[in-house]
Amino acid sequence: MNIDQIKKEFPIFDEKIQNNDLVYLDSANSSQKPKVVVDRINEFYTKQFSNVGRSVHYLAVAATNLYENTRSSVQKYINAKDKNEIVFTKGATEALNLIANTLGQSYLQEGDEVLITELEHHSNYVPWHFLRKSKNIKINFAEINEEGEITVEEIEKKITPKTKLISITHLSNVTGAILPVKEITQLAHSKGIIVVVDGCQGAPHLKLDMQELDCDFYAISCHKMYGPTGLGVLYGKKKWLEELPPYQGGGGMINEVKKDRISYGELPNKYEAGTMATAQVIAFDQSIKFLESIGIENVMKHEANLVEYGQELLQKNNSVKLIGNPKNKGGVLSFTIEGVHPHDIATILDEDGVAIRAGHHCCQILHDKLNIPASARASVGIYNTKEDLDQLNESINNCKKIFNL
Amino acid sequence: MNLKELYQEIILEHGKNPRNLRKTEGFNKDAKGNNPLCGDNVHVYLKLNGQKIVEDASFEGSGCAISMASASIMTDLIKGKNEHEAKEIVEDFLGMIKENPELKSKYLSEDEKTKLMCLSGVKQYPMRVKCATLSWHTMVSAFEENTEEVKTEN
Ligand SMILES: Cc1ncc(COP(=O)(O)O)c(C=O)c1O
Repeated sequence: MNIDQIKKEFPIFDEKIQNNDLVYLDSANSSQKPKVVVDRINEFYTKQFSNVGRSVHYLAVAATNLYENTRSSVQKYINAKDKNEIVFTKGATEALNLIANTLGQSYLQEGDEVLITELEHHSNYVPWHFLRKSKNIKINFAEINEEGEITVEEIEKKITPKTKLISITHLSNVTGAILPVKEITQLAHSKGIIVVVDGCQGAPHLKLDMQELDCDFYAISCHKMYGPTGLGVLYGKKKWLEELPPYQGGGGMINEVKKDRISYGELPNKYEAGTMATAQVIAFDQSIKFLESIGIENVMKHEANLVEYGQELLQKNNSVKLIGNPKNKGGVLSFTIEGVHPHDIATILDEDGVAIRAGHHCCQILHDKLNIPASARASVGIYNTKEDLDQLNESINNCKKIFNL
Repeated sequence: MNLKELYQEIILEHGKNPRNLRKTEGFNKDAKGNNPLCGDNVHVYLKLNGQKIVEDASFEGSGCAISMASASIMTDLIKGKNEHEAKEIVEDFLGMIKENPELKSKYLSEDEKTKLMCLSGVKQYPMRVKCATLSWHTMVSAFEENTEEVKTEN
């Protein structure tokens, strides 16, 4: 696999960013887009545009087919059993809200417990908090260990007879820990507990097989997966999506509308109310093809090498403290520098064209637990190289110099 | 390129050893501010005497070098000023951070102006302006006895 060749497929790397070559280490936030994806959006709007699923004219039928093609591609990519288990949303956030809202309407009862973890992104906590407010459910937190991991044992310890649902991240966007989702799901199912997975960081970097994972729901963020913004995927087992009530009401999701009664459409339309992000869905097919052309095994190998290399570099750099040291780690390097606030780090690195993120990364619970207000985070994607991490390390050194460390 | 202007020695020094980073005993005005985007937070305490003059000012909180230095310098120079003077200084400071090339307030000594001008480097870093201004907005809120937490506008 030739990374230089792959990098060339991303037009952004031809740009000078404030006179620098871009060292993009913020893919956990959002990935850059390959040309095929950008071009596909342009092509659809200039040559093929129509709304989908509504009209019978040529363009509408063609656009509908393209839209449904992506659904089939996603189904294959994540090995879902049924095409109708794939629902498009505006992002992973909406997917998680959809799950919490509909389970809240029809499944979870007052006093039921939802188990999440200290690693969760706010979008896998706040939607459950809504139910804590409206339905009086209880939220429990599985705690991280010293390495920043969540173990099956810890999950088991936190399960009570009232636990109805476990909602966990596949890969932490701060510590990089990859959770044993399959084992947790087995355990949960043996006790009749539903499993929801926030797959935002998992989907772009790990091999996905819904039938093997066996979780009940899996949320994907397309913009982190070399795809367009404004798009997410909700995978849900058919029996759940059939059984649960609709989320949003409007056009496209209905079967029959009368003054005194309304019936709802079949899957997946039931969950796709209103005009969807048509161009994004159609372009996302190219993101999947792009990932398939490289091969997820190659992606995983490349990123694992990068993380190992970056981890070693930063561990050797005194005053840099890495957050978490999970055995099973994805492409995320979060760190602090004693004496330099993460925002100052980010500003100084930016001056060299090194784009990282500083802050709590939407994980305040975790930062509270670690007793730090914020951290700096470098995260990798398929286009990154060891040279990028060398530059990161060098810019960190510059940062230390400015702060007289 | 402009990093040297942003991280001047005075900023680094105040950032490292912030003055008045404590809670004023017997304070009679206070307010909280936070920056929801980055999680920075500050709690400003003021103690005004019978003549409405700031006898002591202090702050608690955490943040980047810019925000800590800004709060440190602010709490230092606001001591001895009355509410009217303090508010004029805030206006002057915010004006300078936004657009004005210099500080104009007659209530600021040359030395104080020089110190504050060290923060003018943030002008070139729009994302960091709120780091420099949070404590100032929060101090105004304390004077006005606003109980609502100050959120930095973007
Ligand atoms: C772990 C995790 N969950 C959820 C989200 C939200 O995803 P989206 O931007 O698609 O709504 C993110 C992205 O920031 C994330 O990293």
